This record gives sequence, C-alpha cells and structure tokens, in this order.
Amino acid sequence: MPSAYRVLPTATGPCGLDLKAVTMSTKNDPVDVIVVGLGACGGTAVKVLCEAGMKVVAFDKGPWLDAAKDFSGDEIKFVNRNYLWPDPTLYPRTLRHDEDSVAKRFQFSPTPQLVGGGTNHWAGWVPRPRESDFMLKSLHGDLPGASLADWPFRYDHLEPYLTKVEWEFGIAGIAGADKYEPFRSKGYPSPPLRPTRWGKKFYDACNKLGINAFPLPHAMVTTEHKGRKPFNHTSFWNQYGDPSGARSNTLTTFVPEAVATGNLEVRPECFVRQVKVGKDGRATGVVYIDTDGNEHEQDAGIVILTLGAIESARLLLMSRSAQHPDGLANSSGQVGKNATFHEYLFAVGLFDKEIDDPLYGWTGNYISGGSLEFYETDHDRGHMGGCIIAASQITHPVNWVFPGRPSWGDALKDADRNFFNYAMKIGLILHDLPVEKNRVDLDPTVTDTFGMPVARITHRPHPNDVAMGKWQVDKNVEILQAAGARKTVPVYLEEMTGNTCHQHGTARMGFDPKTTVLNEWCQAHDVANLFVLDGSSFPTSTGVNPTLTMMANAWRCSEYITDVYAKGREEHLAVPR
Amino acid sequence: MGLKASWEIVGEPVDPDSTDELFFTDHEWATVEAATARIIPTDADPGAREARVVVFIDRYLSGIDFIFAAADGSGFLKMTGRFADAWRDRQTRMQHTYRQGLAALDESTQASFGRDFVELSESEQDRALELFSGAPKPTKVTLGSSEAVTTFLQGTFDEGMGFFTALCLHTRQGFYCDPVYGGNKNHMGWEFIGFPGPKSLKDTMDGTYDTHDYFEPTYDWDELIPHLKANPA
Repeated sequence: MPSAYRVLPTATGPCGLDLKAVTMSTKNDPVDVIVVGLGACGGTAVKVLCEAGMKVVAFDKGPWLDAAKDFSGDEIKFVNRNYLWPDPTLYPRTLRHDEDSVAKRFQFSPTPQLVGGGTNHWAGWVPRPRESDFMLKSLHGDLPGASLADWPFRYDHLEPYLTKVEWEFGIAGIAGADKYEPFRSKGYPSPPLRPTRWGKKFYDACNKLGINAFPLPHAMVTTEHKGRKPFNHTSFWNQYGDPSGARSNTLTTFVPEAVATGNLEVRPECFVRQVKVGKDGRATGVVYIDTDGNEHEQDAGIVILTLGAIESARLLLMSRSAQHPDGLANSSGQVGKNATFHEYLFAVGLFDKEIDDPLYGWTGNYISGGSLEFYETDHDRGHMGGCIIAASQITHPVNWVFPGRPSWGDALKDADRNFFNYAMKIGLILHDLPVEKNRVDLDPTVTDTFGMPVARITHRPHPNDVAMGKWQVDKNVEILQAAGARKTVPVYLEEMTGNTCHQHGTARMGFDPKTTVLNEWCQAHDVANLFVLDGSSFPTSTGVNPTLTMMANAWRCSEYITDVYAKGREEHLAVPR
Repeated sequence: MGLKASWEIVGEPVDPDSTDELFFTDHEWATVEAATARIIPTDADPGAREARVVVFIDRYLSGIDFIFAAADGSGFLKMTGRFADAWRDRQTRMQHTYRQGLAALDESTQASFGRDFVELSESEQDRALELFSGAPKPTKVTLGSSEAVTTFLQGTFDEGMGFFTALCLHTRQGFYCDPVYGGNKNHMGWEFIGFPGPKSLKDTMDGTYDTHDYFEPTYDWDELIPHLKANPA
C-alpha cells in the first residue's frame, strides 16, 4: 500500500533553544579548578591536577560514552552521519575567505565533541616536534604577509613532558628509526603495528629514493600497557571509535585515571557559555547550560580552557564584561588571530589489477610508514619550511578515498571493482604559516542550538602554504610512481577546509602582554587565574600533528599550576636565546 | 530530555527483503529502484537492485528510527532531545528533496521521452539521468595519467545536498553499508568490491573480526629501515 506523505512530528518546534524561556538557575559549591572541554588537553590537565590533589569539575559539550559499548566498525554511523562529529544544524560554523564577504555555513575543522574529544576518532599520528618549530622567527626573520613568532620556550623545555605523555598515554614506535628526531630521553612503551601491504610499498619506494621511512609514532599500544588490552585488529580506525584498549584516547585513559583519584567530577552534555569575572577582572567561574536547557553557575579558584583553538577563542570572545570589553583576556586584541589549521593534502596512486599484487588499501590503523625527510627548510624549493608525510589507508567501501571516483554508472562500478584493493595514498600535514588576519571571531548572525553566536573563520592561505603544499604533494606523487603506481591523483591546496581537525594560534603565548594573550605557562596575561591549555597557545603551527605537543604542553603547564601557582608563587622562564 | 550517552536501543535490523514502504509510494519505490540500478548497475556482479538499496533509502527517509545502528547491530539508537529535533527537521527536508526530485525526474522524462522514468529502457534511463543531472555519464577511469583536484573535508554528510547528488551518495551507502541498515544484502556489495567485512558489527567489538591476514605477512624492521640497521640502539 502506498504510504501517505509523512510530515514528521516536531516535539519542541524549531531546533534551538529560546534562552528567555530558561527559568531554572542553580549555583553549585565552588571547587579548586574548572576545566572546560575534556579532549586531549583537558584530559591531560584533569589527570595532572587531580593526581596532585586538586578538586576539579570538568565540562564537556558532548556525551560521556562508553567506548567498549558504544563503538564499533559502522561506516555509515561514524563516517557519514556524524555520530561523533558536531551536528551541523545544532553546532554550525561559518567560513569566509576575505574581510568583505559574508561568511557561509561550513563545518570548518569539525572536531568530535564528546569526552575524549578528537582522541576518540583520531588516526593518532604522534611525532615529536623539531627544534626548529620553536624558533621560526629567529631562523627566518619576518616573512612578508606572515606573522612569524618564536615560542617562549624551546624543545628542551618540553622534552621531559613529551616522554611523560608517550609513556602514560601509550605510544607505539621505534626509537632511533627517525633519522631526524631530536634528543629523546627514553624509548617507546609499545612496539609499532605491523606494516600493511601498501605500507611495505611505501617503505620500498622510499628506500629506492633514499628517503628515511619509518613507522610514525602511533597513539596506540600493540601490547598490554597499564592494563589495556589492544585486541582491535579490525582496520576500522580513523574516524571510528575504538571499542578495545588499543587506541590511546583520554576517554579510556587519563579521564578514568583522574576519576579514580576521587577528585574529578565530570559534567558531560553541558555547554559553557561564559567565563564569569569579578570586579577585579579575575575569573570567578562559569555559566553553563545543561541538556534540558537549564542554566547553572559553577565557581572555582582557577579556570582552564581546553576546548580547542576555535571554541576556546569563541568562549573568550563570548565572555565580554565591563572589565574585559573586547572579550576575556583580550587587551592585546589578539584573541582569535593568527589561526593556523594545517590541511591534509595527498596524492592517490592506482595500480593495475591485471599485473600488480593487491594492496588492500582499507587495512591498517590509518598510517603505515611515514617520513620527516622533507621537514626542514631547503631554500632550493623556493619556500620556507616543510612537513611530515605518511602513507595512509584509503579507508572503507562507501567513502574510499579516490578523488575522481566516478559518481554513477558502469564507470563507478568498474572503478570500485578494479581499484578498491589496488590503491594507496601518501599525504602530508601542511605546515601553514600564521597570518594575523586569519582568525576566529563571532559570527554576527548565525547562532547555535543555544542561541549563542557561532565561530566564524576568516582564512586565506599564505602564498608559502600553497607553494609548500604543491611541492610536497608532487613529492608524494614521485614516491607513488617509484612504488609503481600507474595513475596518480594529486590533491592540492586552494582554500583550507580544516580537514585535519588541527587548530592552533588563536591565543598565542609569549612574553609581551601587548602582542600575546598568554604567558609561557599559558596563563592569561590579563587574568592570572585563567589558563588556556590547548593549541590556542601555539605561536606557529609546527609541521607535525600537534596533539602530542599540545598534551605535553598541557602537562607542563598543569604542573606549573599544581607546583607553583596554587602555592601562591610565581616563576618565569628566561627569554630563550 | 535524556542524555546522548543513554540513548536506548530499540527495534531490530532492517529486513532487506521487506517490501513494506515506510516513506515511498509504489511509484516512487519503483523509480528509486530503477534509478539506483543505473547508478550501480547489475552486470556479471550484483548491483544496487539485488543489494536492496531501495530498502536502505526508504528506511533512511522514513524518519529518525534508522539513523544510527546500535554499536552491536542489534537494533537502532533512539535519539532524544535536541539531536532528535535536529534530525527530524533534516529528514523532513530530505523527504521534500526526494519527493520533489522524483517528480521532477518524471517531468523531465515525460518532456524528453513522453514516458515516466520507470517505463524507459536502461539506455534511455542513462540518457535521462544525463539530461536530468546536466552532466554527461561518467567515463571509465583509465590508467597512465594524472588528474589533479583540490582539498576537501573527510566524510560526506548529506545536509543540504541536491536530489541527484544525494541519490548517488545514498546508493553507494546502501550498496556498501553494514546490512543492519537494510542494504548490502548478504554482504553482496562487499563481496563485489573485494572487502572481507565483518559478519556483524558485534564482531568488530570483541576481537572476533581480525584483518591481519591482509597485512604484510613477513617483515623485518631492519630491512624496511636501513637507518635503523646502520645505527643499532
């Protein structure tokens, strides 16, 4: 029987909450510390703070899921329907490429929103940064159009914390395999995953070309570590949640460790809309909205933001007050500016089913082999800087990565039949340069489900970004050809989409309160009890995936809070030379 | 309103052989079945028709009961609160997109061929899809070339997508999805493309499903990494 046209019932009218309708408001007992955003960096902060005995309340906009019960290898749910990713109706973002355009809705850098954040879905490339990453301005001076800056500390300051994260969080790798890695004080806690067949092709091609390929450090364990049982050999990895103990995810590691101290209370599915300040301009706590739309307040002695560089900047800008008229901690006017986002660029190579062996490009835990051979500046290339490259999965049948995959008909069917098991991909994380105008601010018209202004991204790549992307993608193609690819599809940079979820720079750290937002401990120059411990602080983006560096820095700064700041003292680093 | 973390599991996996229409009319069902069979045609291997892509799409469009399968594939998650509202609004819009798109497809074939889409031969249907989409039928991929494109976001969400683009996407989804959603009957899409997928979603949660047989069988890090061999720890 034909069905009648169904109009779906809408329970509460149009999506979105009318704030005026909110009546209930409650205030909780104060705690030592509030952490807003419980992802990679928030997870690290609560572990360090709670293990040191501080009482913490942590908020996350998203749910507190149970990895073992809620995650599995469902491509439709995890890749196509935003089970982990921000729902674009509820949590839109907007994007424009220049000052004069009206920004359009676009899910720019859509990082998963739930306890564990991006460590739920990530492939988990966790290479260490290089010494040069901390001193781009000293090395290169002023590059026209870019706002290069040195970090207020150096690799050596971070090294002990990189090691702590590698061992506590669980990283698989082989010390000494990366020819270009700076000093490390300890090896890795877990051996790497075995290579895939396409990974083997990458190693062979790199060896032919004299490129140092090695198993990129991977945020997973392959053997038992701290009670974790890594049974996941499913190849459902990037963008999927992991139900086993293999993936290093703060949801299944640092957060439960912090809860076990008895010092952490997690308030999931609660949206913090404002950081409150007192008459003296210091932070006093936060205002948040629970899942039923009721508003509450929570006070604390210290407020830490770890929402990611887009949402942390947004919250600072939403937290305007008489004491902070341009947004919290923004006397420099720098909040939101100098945003960098990396971008994943790559090339796909197709092989011939009739001649070549299958590569099974859908296998593996996303990366299998990578290199930092092309990381440092080589002036012969005509641009500054460089970045990491890696061979990676072409993923699963619905969404397998073949730009140019025919959209319908025999051509689609033949392409899937002939190339799904005969394709491989090599890509890079673009080391994009900071530009002051590239920024996050509040959209003047678009609001989220809570009626709050959403983050608007204004971004145009620096010419160096485009040049570096072109050179590196062409290098990817060269390696694919050396591997025997019979067709290549290079993917170049035109405009950024935020496809890596990497976000940095919107609240730069530095020594000068006139030009930076945070000091060397990621403490706001303007607000002594406010810290921003995510990638917001990065003066430059680095050419490696940022999460290991972010987590190590969050650990370093959290330790400053517990050991120095909370004891009523103050310390400063000397300006590095 | 309930937390996302406590969404209940309700219902059961979709039966791919079902002929119950939850959203489409008879004519729409037949049109979608015919059109998806041109998007992934049947040849020596099964296509969208045999894999029951039409069931997958009908269930998807019917509302919000078939959006997210339970992790173990035993049923579907019952969304609550603002998530349910957002999906309900979005699905209402996608229902309009399909209803209007299917009507427009017939209008287009009536104008060009004097018949509805389902009454055309397969080659006429291909021509009709070209006229309707405004683009030529995709040509086969050839080796020995390089074709550049520019960067894009990972994953493909259908919010705001036009009818024909959505139909192509949903056909791929229905052909290659986990069978809990009603398509990929008996894993025939996976078998066709050469993907040895899991017997059930549950098998991906407990270590039962293991793909290591498809990895490099033997390897030696010292051979793969000459630098390591030359500089032993």
